[in-house]
Amino acid sequence: MIKTLSQRLLGPVTLVLLALTFWLGLWVTPPDKVQGNLARLLYVHPAIAWVALYVSFGTAAIASALYLWKRTRSVVMDRVAHCAMEVSTVFIILTLITGSIWGRPTWGVWWAWDARLTSTAILGLFELAYLALRRANDDPELRARRSAVFAIIAAVNVPIIHFSVDWWNTLHQGATVFTENGNLLVHGIMLWTLFLSLFAFTLLFFWLLRARYRVEVLRAQRYDVALDEALAQRRREGVH
Amino acid sequence: MGYVAAGYAFAFGGLGLYALSIWWRGRRARR
Repeated sequence: MIKTLSQRLLGPVTLVLLALTFWLGLWVTPPDKVQGNLARLLYVHPAIAWVALYVSFGTAAIASALYLWKRTRSVVMDRVAHCAMEVSTVFIILTLITGSIWGRPTWGVWWAWDARLTSTAILGLFELAYLALRRANDDPELRARRSAVFAIIAAVNVPIIHFSVDWWNTLHQGATVFTENGNLLVHGIMLWTLFLSLFAFTLLFFWLLRARYRVEVLRAQRYDVALDEALAQRRREGVH
Repeated sequence: MGYVAAGYAFAFGGLGLYALSIWWRGRRARR
């Protein structure tokens, strides 16, 4: 396979930006006036949640919708949906873990049945159910169609998660970076590190998705070869 | 600082392990 320059650069650039986020987040940015060093989790938790909810799950939901639409239906869409959903599941688990680590010292509890936390956990369960559903059926077309419908149903949860901090009185904070008037609440190196983390983790998603997709293609090729060999074997048995 | 270290360890470590699992599955599929 001929790799384009962007494909070749994706991995190294992602690793450099993640290393930069790590360094800036832990050593360069100053402690926050209110939260102290705990604010350093700002460069990890929101970026992971952003990828889990919007980038990764969004990709899976759009690919599922494109699969269900006859004009764009293809095995590629089904594979993209599957792979993006798997990546999203990992990110959502890490969102809950890093959020919990932040919650313990700031709220005093590891977990609260807060609207934002609960709706995020429900989406995580939907994603695990999606992955289980894919394993429950061997017919590729039926599996793809059922999974796509399930992903669309699960997508209803995303706006609920997004607006949960506005709709209910939540322990989880509301919009932190921008005020309602669009004014910035975070400044300087803290703001740039926050944006860098969002960009770096988004690139990581695309890198992981591409790698995961290639595994799926390799598996499909291997399955085809195994099927051809089994058919050839049966034909030989028929000759004798 | 212990909570911060734990947060970074889970975030970067977890994603690293997941990347490793993709690489491992790719290697198995190639065999």
